[in-house]
Amino acid sequence: MNKIAGWIAIFCLLFAPALFAADPVKIGLMGPMTGSWASEGQEMKQVLDLLADEYNQQGGVLGRKIQILTQDDGGDPRTASLAANRLVSQKIVAVVGTYGSSITEATQNIYDEAGVVQVANGSTAIRLSEKGLKNFFRTCPRDDEQGKVATATIQKLGGKKVAILHDNTSYAKGLAEESRANLKAANVEVVFFDALTPGERDYNAILTKLKAAGPDFVFFTGYYPEAGLLLRQKKEMGWDVPFMGGDAVNNPTLVETAGAAAAEGFYFLSPPLPKDLDTPEAKSFVEAFTKKHGHAPKSIYPVLAGDGFRVLVEAIKATDSVEAEKISAYLKSSLKDFPGLTGTLAFDDKGDRVGEVYRVYKVDGEGQFILEP
Amino acid sequence: MEQFFQQLTNGLAVGGIYALIALGYTMVYGVLKLINFAHGDLFTIGAYLGLTLLTSLALTDHVGGFLGVAILAVMVMGLVGIIGILLERIAYRPLRQSPRLSAVVSALGASIFFQNAIMLTYGAKFYVYPQDLLPVMPVNIFGLSIPLMRIIILAASVLMMIALYLFVQKTRIGTAIRAAAIDQGAARLMGIDVNFVIMIVFFIGPALGGAAGLMVGVYYGQINFTMGWIYGLKAFTAAILGGIGNIPGAMLGGLLLGVVEALGAAYISIAWKDAIAFFVLILILIIRPTGLLGERVAEKI
Repeated sequence: MNKIAGWIAIFCLLFAPALFAADPVKIGLMGPMTGSWASEGQEMKQVLDLLADEYNQQGGVLGRKIQILTQDDGGDPRTASLAANRLVSQKIVAVVGTYGSSITEATQNIYDEAGVVQVANGSTAIRLSEKGLKNFFRTCPRDDEQGKVATATIQKLGGKKVAILHDNTSYAKGLAEESRANLKAANVEVVFFDALTPGERDYNAILTKLKAAGPDFVFFTGYYPEAGLLLRQKKEMGWDVPFMGGDAVNNPTLVETAGAAAAEGFYFLSPPLPKDLDTPEAKSFVEAFTKKHGHAPKSIYPVLAGDGFRVLVEAIKATDSVEAEKISAYLKSSLKDFPGLTGTLAFDDKGDRVGEVYRVYKVDGEGQFILEP
Repeated sequence: MEQFFQQLTNGLAVGGIYALIALGYTMVYGVLKLINFAHGDLFTIGAYLGLTLLTSLALTDHVGGFLGVAILAVMVMGLVGIIGILLERIAYRPLRQSPRLSAVVSALGASIFFQNAIMLTYGAKFYVYPQDLLPVMPVNIFGLSIPLMRIIILAASVLMMIALYLFVQKTRIGTAIRAAAIDQGAARLMGIDVNFVIMIVFFIGPALGGAAGLMVGVYYGQINFTMGWIYGLKAFTAAILGGIGNIPGAMLGGLLLGVVEALGAAYISIAWKDAIAFFVLILILIIRPTGLLGERVAEKI
């Protein structure tokens, strides 16, 4: 008897989704709820919970409710692979996340083998989408995208003789080399290309050498502590040249270090700050988020996670299916100009987002970051 | 040519700070034959104490920029000096009779302790000194425009080094320090209180390091808890370069290292400037194993 009961139990478990058609559509969220990126992960959860509530109030998708299953990746590859296995065993249709590139990388194959669509929201490393995985997407731009935007921006701002300075970290060096190649292809002269040592205080020797190279535009691809010191010491030298940074300088410490006077007029590239999102969808979303949590989202990456969730729901609706293959095919070929929170969304064959996400910001006289039109 | 002189002044400004920190390494080594690895962190403490005193006392608002910073420097030097004395009393004196390696390990431990204590007290973020404490005013010397602050830093460093040199050469305590450096046992037999001498050394060295920390804070603005590592390493190199245990050698080594770095960055490659500086160090040590001004052969630790 026991044996028969056991078989029935197993049978029920295996076919449970088929037996109970009104089961919710399960979408996973894998994010750093703890660890050094915890603020990003917690906001990702807030964004997804809010969006799922909105869909469920309108009747959900395919006549079923949407259920968000959250797992903490801890900002750590090992924790993340456990989280991914747990989500897969909970029979999710798709997963949103995660933030760090190496964390995403640790989970890509787990989701791929289980036939789960993954939409990363903050992982910008190029290699993630070069592996030929069919069900991998991301709503954030790739690192090489920034090099293209940097080139276009430098040309637009009138740079003819450009100096590029990096700090030998793999991110900054990659961006610097990408930009140099793009600038050369665009026939813009690169008069200076070298690296500083991060963590030092005195960059006068570097600035003196930079100045002697005679650039009319300087692009620094490193991080905010050095960018602040460079601006401060450049001002002290009395050297007035347009300066631009990559998205690693987006931090108020930059202005504190340099002083508002020295930072004024500094350009940098960054995905839009949540306060600057301008589509109607984004405005109503930020309004709803503010109503619930008392403030607008603090970082753009949770909003990009929200976009990942919204395209997934759109694909499930449009294909009337929860099969990974159909969803992926739809996202790659049929989804065009989807009105996302962070601008229009579409994906190429590799699953990378099509279209420009980066914006140009400029520091004003009070040290505020102002979006350039 | 103008670029050459500009880079020379850049190098001298950086080198002045290296030299000031290097004095602390060299004095301690001269008397105790101990590399005080915690010295770079005493430098960091100087920078943080300077910021705390600056914002809490608002001295510069009451007595003006220059006098305010000068008073601040005296206070920071006194406080960091006291921390130096405590460091010696707690971490080094109990190990005075132990093998030298134990004291080195204790110094490394003290360094880690200080660094973490600063991080836990102040937090891991970058701190920024108030802007425009002293006027940012380029001074024209022989057609070169040099920021006033840089001249002040270099002048203050050189003045402190000369004062220290005269103190060690001309005063009774200085003579006692030199005697203890040559032979502690014999010095004790001659009636010199060696513990007192070591205490004085552990006051002066950290005090100069603290002053360097304050200067870096005031001039460059940005401080964080790991800043002592790079400066400590460079200053240690400068002390070796000049001949460890030798006070004029530390000055020379610091200034030389700063200038080599700046010129290496200017004429060869910025990214390679540290490699160039250390290559020069190796060359000098091959030719003169005791450093530029060192007389006695330094024993290996």
